[in-house]
Amino acid sequence: MFRTARLCLLVQLLAIFCLAAPSPDPLQPKEEVQVCKDAGQYGGRLVVGLRAEPKTLNPVTAEDAVSREVIGGLMADLVHINRSTQQSEPALAKSWKVSADGLTYTLKLRRGIRFSDGQPFDADDVIFSWAVYTDQKIDSPQRDLLILDGKPIQVTKIDPYMVRFTLTRPYAAAERLFDSLAILPRHILDRPYREGRFLQQWALNTPASQIVGLGPFRLKQYLPGQRVVLERNPYYWKADASKRRLPYLDELVFVFAGNEDARLMQFEAGETDVVNRLSAQNYSLLARQSGGLQLDDLGPSTEYNFLLFNLNELSSSHVPEIERKQAWFRDLRFRQAVSAAIDRESIVRLAYGGRGTPLWGNVSPGNKLWVDASLPHPQRSLDSAQQLLKSAGFSWNPTGNLLDPSGRAVEFSIIVASSNSQRMEMATIIQDDLSKLGMQVNVVPLEFRALLQRVFQNYNYEATILGLGGGDADPNAEMNVWVSNGSTHLWHQGEAHPATAWEAEVDRLMNQQMLTLNYKRRKRLYDQVQQIIAANLPMVFLATPDVLVAAKPAVGNFHPAVLEPTTLWNVDQLYLRRGAEMARSR
Amino acid sequence: MRGRGSILLPAVLLVLWHLAFVFAGFLAPYDPAEQQRELPYIAPSHLQFRGPEGFHLRPYACGASSVDVGPAPCYPVHFLIHGWTYSFAGLQWNVHLFGVPSWGRIAILGTDAYGRDVWSRLLFGGRISLASGLLATLVSLVLAMLIGTISGFYGKWTDEFLMGGAELFLVVPWLYFLLVLRAMLPLHLTAAATFLLVVGVIGSLGWARPMRLVRGVVLSARERNYVLAARGFGASDTYLLRRHIAPMTAGVLLTQAALLVPQFVAAEAALSFFGLGVSEPVPSWGNMLAVLQQYSVLVSYWWMLAPAIALVITSVMYGWLAEALQRSLKSSSI
Amino acid sequence: MKSYVARRLARAVLLLFAVSVLCFLLTRLAPGSFFDEIRLNPQISPHTIAALQARYGLDQPLPLRYGRWARSVVRGDFGFSIAYNTPVAQLMWAPAEHTLLLGGVAMLLCWLISVPLAVWSAAYERSWFDRGVSALTSFIISIPEIVLALGLLAFAVRSHALPVGGMTSIGFDELTGWGKAMDIARHMLAPVVILVLVATPVIVRHLRASVAEVLHAPFVEAARGCGIGGARLLFRHVLPAAANPAISLFGLSLAALLSGSLLVEVVTGWPGLGPLILDATLARDLDVVVAAAMLGAAMMIVGNFAADLLLLAADPRIRTGSPDAG
Repeated sequence: MFRTARLCLLVQLLAIFCLAAPSPDPLQPKEEVQVCKDAGQYGGRLVVGLRAEPKTLNPVTAEDAVSREVIGGLMADLVHINRSTQQSEPALAKSWKVSADGLTYTLKLRRGIRFSDGQPFDADDVIFSWAVYTDQKIDSPQRDLLILDGKPIQVTKIDPYMVRFTLTRPYAAAERLFDSLAILPRHILDRPYREGRFLQQWALNTPASQIVGLGPFRLKQYLPGQRVVLERNPYYWKADASKRRLPYLDELVFVFAGNEDARLMQFEAGETDVVNRLSAQNYSLLARQSGGLQLDDLGPSTEYNFLLFNLNELSSSHVPEIERKQAWFRDLRFRQAVSAAIDRESIVRLAYGGRGTPLWGNVSPGNKLWVDASLPHPQRSLDSAQQLLKSAGFSWNPTGNLLDPSGRAVEFSIIVASSNSQRMEMATIIQDDLSKLGMQVNVVPLEFRALLQRVFQNYNYEATILGLGGGDADPNAEMNVWVSNGSTHLWHQGEAHPATAWEAEVDRLMNQQMLTLNYKRRKRLYDQVQQIIAANLPMVFLATPDVLVAAKPAVGNFHPAVLEPTTLWNVDQLYLRRGAEMARSR
Repeated sequence: MRGRGSILLPAVLLVLWHLAFVFAGFLAPYDPAEQQRELPYIAPSHLQFRGPEGFHLRPYACGASSVDVGPAPCYPVHFLIHGWTYSFAGLQWNVHLFGVPSWGRIAILGTDAYGRDVWSRLLFGGRISLASGLLATLVSLVLAMLIGTISGFYGKWTDEFLMGGAELFLVVPWLYFLLVLRAMLPLHLTAAATFLLVVGVIGSLGWARPMRLVRGVVLSARERNYVLAARGFGASDTYLLRRHIAPMTAGVLLTQAALLVPQFVAAEAALSFFGLGVSEPVPSWGNMLAVLQQYSVLVSYWWMLAPAIALVITSVMYGWLAEALQRSLKSSSI
Repeated sequence: MKSYVARRLARAVLLLFAVSVLCFLLTRLAPGSFFDEIRLNPQISPHTIAALQARYGLDQPLPLRYGRWARSVVRGDFGFSIAYNTPVAQLMWAPAEHTLLLGGVAMLLCWLISVPLAVWSAAYERSWFDRGVSALTSFIISIPEIVLALGLLAFAVRSHALPVGGMTSIGFDELTGWGKAMDIARHMLAPVVILVLVATPVIVRHLRASVAEVLHAPFVEAARGCGIGGARLLFRHVLPAAANPAISLFGLSLAALLSGSLLVEVVTGWPGLGPLILDATLARDLDVVVAAAMLGAAMMIVGNFAADLLLLAADPRIRTGSPDAG
C-alpha cells in the first residue's frame, strides 16, 4: 500500500517538476561568466540533511554553521577559497592586483552579471556591502576579520567595475578575507539599512522574493521546523565548458534532522542524497551496506583536539585547590609526562574507529600547506613518563599513587562536554592511561555551555578536553589562539604580557608571519611556531578525526573536500545522473 | 492463606535477583573498569563443550579475540578460579565463580567501547542503579503520599497551595535547575556524594505526578461513609489519616512504585549529561544505557542492550510483587 | 462553586507569575549564556561579543530584563528570540499547532486503547489475557523512552516502511487534499506509536488495579445479583467508581500535551515545540524557554482544572462531601 502511494507521489512529482524550477537564462553576449571544467546534466533535486535548523538567512548577522551553509547556496563572494586546493581563486572579482607594499588590492569585477532577481551587479553593491559589514552598530561577527590594528579595511570605487581596498598594514594572504563575505544587493537592502532596520532583514519568514543574491540558488520556500527549498538562480554567473549556465540542479532542499543519528537514518532510508561529516561508527555502518554509495574518507581534518591544563592567573577569590594543583600543571615535565603516557593510537582506534590521526602539534596533517612534517612523533612510553616525573620531584607511595614534591597525592579532574561522545571517550582513555602513572583522574561530564563558562569566564576547572580548528587552513585564522593577548589563548587568558619566554617568541613569530607576504617565508616562521608549541605543550595534543562523507551513487561531480562545506562547496556543479529519480523512489 | 502464598514467589525471586548484585564481585570475572583496548565491541563468547582434543566435560568459551580471520580461539572455563581482587564485607577476596586463565578472555555479554566486560559492569552497575532507583522511588512516593494526602484531606486553600507547588515543580525547566545545582557543587564528587545526589535529585523531582494521583484518591476517600462515621465518633484528623485514608492510597502507590523504579533508573542517564550522575569508570545501568542513544551502537551491537534487559526483568518482577501485594491487601481489607 | 472558581483563578494567575519569575531566576543563575559558543571562534573579538550581549540586554540586571519581558508579553510578543531574531510568539505558533496535532492524536488513541484493555483485563482477572497484558505493560514500561524511540525508528528505516522524520514529504504542495492528509498521517505514524507505547501501560496498570479493586466491592456484587452483567456492569457501574486514578492521569496527560512529546519529536524530527524548546534551552535562548514554560503552565492549569471537574462529576462522594470541595 505504501509502495503504490509512493509511486503515485512520484508520478505527480515528475509531472510538476518540469514546470517548477526556473530554467537557466541564456548567456548574454556582454556577460563575463566564470567557466568551470566539469560537465554534467541538467535537472533534478538534491536533498541534503542539516543537523539543525538555520536561524537566519542574513549573511551579515548569521553566526552558526548551519545558517552559513544554507546562505552559502544563496550568496557569492568576491574572491573564493577553492575548498579542494585550499587556494584562493577569482569569483565575482575576475582578477586582482596587489601593490608592491601589500597595502592596496585592486579588484576587477565581472561585467554583465545580474542578481537572482535580474537586477545588475556592479561596484556600488560592493561598496554597500562593505559599509554594512564594517558598520559598528551592526556588530557583524565578520567585522572583526576586516579590522587590522583597530582600523577597518577601506574600499573605494574606481569605476563601476573596479574597486580598491586599502589596508593599514600588510596582511598575508589578505585576499582570503573576501571568502564568505557575501555581496549584498544594494537595491533591496539599502533602504532598510538607512532606516536602521537592517538587523531584522532576511529572517526566516521573509518572503522569498526579497532574498536576492548572487549565489547559484535562490530561496523558494521555507517550512518552519522541516525544510528549506532553494531553486535555481536563472542568472547565475558561472557556466560549464560547453557554455551552459550553471547550476545543473533544479532544486536544492535542506531537510532538518534532529541530530546526527537522525541525519544518518534519513540517508540510509534514501530520503537525502548527501551526508556530511559522519562519525566513524556511522561511516562503517554505511560501508557495510551495498548499493554503490559514494563513500569518501578524505583523510585528517584540520580540527585538533587537546587536553588543556588551567594555567590562568587565579585571583584569591577562586578555589585554592586549583591554585595548588597549578604548581603541577605549570611544570613542563609534568605536562610532558602526561603527553608521553597518553595512548594516542587507542584514542584514534576507539574514539574515531581507526579513522583519525594522532597529533603531537597544533596543525593536523589535513592542512597540507602548513603542517610541519618534521615535528617529532614520540611513541607512547610509560618509562620516560616516569623518568620525567621523577626528575620533577614526584614520587610514588607503596600503593602506587603518585605524590607531588610536597607529599600530596596527585589528583585532578578533566571536564568534558557530555554532548561530544568522542571527547568523552578520549577522557576515559586518558583517565585509564594516567592511572598507570599513579595519577587519580576524575572525568567530569558537563553540559557544553556550562563547560565554556568555566573555561572562558570563571576559570573554575583543572583540566579540560576541547577541540579547535576546522576553519580556514591559513595560520592567520588561528592568531587569537597562539598570541598571548588573544581571545582564545585558552590556557592562560587575559595576559597583558606574555607569561613565559616561549610565549613571547610565539607572539613575535605569529605577528611576523602575518606581515610576511611570501608563502615560503611564512611557512618557515609558522614551522618554528609549531615546534615551540610542540616542545612547550601548553596543550597536550591528542588526535584529529578524518573527514567522512557519503553520497548516493546518482550524485555526479561529487568531489568532497576537507574544508567546510565539505560536500557542497561545489554545489553549483553537482548534478544528478539520469535515472536518479526512479532509483530514489525505493 | 491464598494472599500470602502469591506474594512469596515474586518476593523470593526478587531477593535472589538482588543477591546476585550483592555478590557482584564473586560473579564477575573481570574488574568493571579494566580496559582491554584490543577488544572493543566484541560479541558475546559462545560456550561449547568441545576442547582442542574433542569432547570435554569442561566448557570452553570461544570468540573473545581481536583476530577476525580463522577459527575463533577457545579458552577453557574454570570454576572457583582466582582472579582480580575485590572487597566484600570489609575483606579482600579474589575467588570468582567462573573465569578463564589470564592468557584468554571470556566475554559472556560481550565488551563495550573500551573492551570492558559488559557482564561485570552489569553486575556492579546493578548495585548502584537498583539501590538508587529504589531509594529515589521511596523518596518520591513518601513525599507524594505526605503532600498528596494533606492536600486532598484538608482541601480548600491548603490544597490550592500544595497543588500550585506541585504544578510549579512540573512546569519549571528542570534542566536549568540541574545546571545551577551542578555549578554550585565542587568539581569532583565522591561516590557517596554522587549516590546521594542522584537519589535526592530524582526523588525530589519525581514526586509531583504521583502526588496528584494520591490527592485524587484522598479526595474520594475522605468522604467515604466509614470515614464520616469515624469522624462522627470524634476521631481526630491524624487518626483518620493514619488509620483510614493512608491505607487507601496503597493501591495507587504500589502501582506507581512498579512504574517509577525503571523510569528512575533510566533517569540517572539523563543526570550524567549534566555531570550529576555516576561518572567514569564506575558503571551504572544509566550510563551503560546512554551509549545506546547512538544509532550505530543500537543497531550493530545488540549485547549493549543488556542493561535494558536487566531493567525489564527488574521491572517485571517488581510489577508482579506490586500486583501480588495489592491483591493481598484487598483480600485482607474485605 | 463561586469561591471554588475564584480560588482556581487566583491560583492560575499566581502560578503563571511564579513560573515566569522562577524561570527568569533559574535561567539567569544557570551557567553559560547564548554567546558562549562563538567565543570559541578565534576570529571573533571579545568586543563584538560584548556589543552583541549589550544589544540583547544580556548584561542588564535581572529586574530590568524582567520588566522588558513583561512589557513584551503585554504587547503580545512574549519576548524576543536571540537565535532567530524574531519575537517569540511568531516563532511558536506553527510548532505549537504541530505538537497539538501529534499529542492530541496520540492521547486519543492511547485512551481508546487503554480503557477497554484495562477493564477487560480486570474483569478476567488471573486469566491468560490478564497475565499477558500485565507482563506486556511491565515490559514496555521498563524500556527507557529513548531506546524505544530509536529502536522503532531504526526498524522504520531498515524496513523502508515509513518516512524518517519531518511532517510532510518534499512534494507536499502538489498533493491533493486527501493526499496531503495521508502524507501527514504516514509521517505521524512513528511518533504516535512511540507516544502511545509510552503512555498506555501506565494508564492500563492504574485503571486495571483500580477496577479490580472495585469489582470486589459490595455494590458490584449487589448489581450482579440484580442481574446486571457484562459490559453494562463494567462500564456503567464499575468504571465510574474506579475512574479516580485514571482521571488524575487524564489531567496529567492533558497537562503534558505540549511538553510530553519533546523527546519523541526530537528523535523523529516532528516539527513541533520539542526541537525548538530543546535547542533554545541548550543554547540559552532565554525568552523562548520562558515562553515554553508559560505555555506548559497554561496547559497544566487547563489539565488540572479538567481533571478536577471530571473527578467531581465521576465521584458523587466528592460532590456531596462539602459544597466547595476540591
